[in-house]
Amino acid sequence: MTRRSNGLEQFCAFLQGSSGLSILDMSGASQANIGFVTDLGHRISSDDVVGTMQHCFGDDFFEAQKAPSKAQRFLDQTLTFPDHSFDGALVWDTLQFFNGDLLNHIVGELFRVMRPGGLMLAFFNADEKTTRIPIYNYRIHDAKTLLLAPRAEIAFQQVQYFNNRMLEKMFTKAASVKFFLTRDHLRELIIRR
Amino acid sequence: MSSPSRTFEPEHAPVRAGSAALGKNVTVKGQIYAREDLTIDGEVEGTVECQEHRLTIGPNARVQAGLKAREIVIQGSIHGNVEAADKIDIKKEAKLVGDIKTSRIVIEDGAYFKGSIDISKATPAAKPGAQPQPSTQTQTPPQPATSAAVGAGGSAAAHK
Repeated sequence: MTRRSNGLEQFCAFLQGSSGLSILDMSGASQANIGFVTDLGHRISSDDVVGTMQHCFGDDFFEAQKAPSKAQRFLDQTLTFPDHSFDGALVWDTLQFFNGDLLNHIVGELFRVMRPGGLMLAFFNADEKTTRIPIYNYRIHDAKTLLLAPRAEIAFQQVQYFNNRMLEKMFTKAASVKFFLTRDHLRELIIRR
Repeated sequence: MSSPSRTFEPEHAPVRAGSAALGKNVTVKGQIYAREDLTIDGEVEGTVECQEHRLTIGPNARVQAGLKAREIVIQGSIHGNVEAADKIDIKKEAKLVGDIKTSRIVIEDGAYFKGSIDISKATPAAKPGAQPQPSTQTQTPPQPATSAAVGAGGSAAAHK
């Protein structure tokens, strides 16, 4: 399934306007994303956050992450990079699978590993009535288009709905947050650290 | 009484090219240096160097080591940094935690990788009057259970 993405287009303009950047991909490692980023002369790091969630929380991310021991085990394996490691991060839709304290921790860790001025691309479900969604790997097809590859090995997951105000509050430490309107039920954000 | 047969061997017998293998029931702790292709399917802890040759990490392998070779094929589990002068090929059943440094990388869908990737572009020897070679690698949509080689080219757009 392909998807036109204005957020991706802006993120890619950032990539194409610089060289030697360090980019974090929070989806599973893929030929497409690795090739796209490295062909532009940048370095890419991969941290499959959803894969780690499945490993730590099993089939029900939302409920299982409330257990402190499981949440700690997840945190011990995720975003274990030094401070200010990255100029950009492809967060995709991973943040909407977190809730409560763990969400705050993960956002805090994201800001910790990002350099000031760095850009993050994040997606959030924009349909308040949708409570469970399939899990996708996001592959960059070109600077404006994504390929959404379903991760069949992971069950549909409960997601938290965030309205604009909640998202602004989530990224209150950011220098700026830019929203992109989309035709489908996805809200795209470019967050500047 | 017949004398035992003798086989004449010249003083400087040629070295046979081949490959070496560590089976799945072999455990090595320490440094491994290989001057031929090497396949590891057991457990290794330490470092493995296979300069100018191919190193294959088999599906049963559990490696906690830094790896260096001309080309590295990964099917098993590795915790450690991996450096290949030419190419790294990560198969779908592989698990790699560590940093990668190479000229080309191929990664199949389903492979688990956590770490960073540095593509170092090899400089080919220049011929007199030769034109710079354009990149031949193009972005293709990923297909299940197949892989596309990503070359170390296409840098013209990146550096402004």
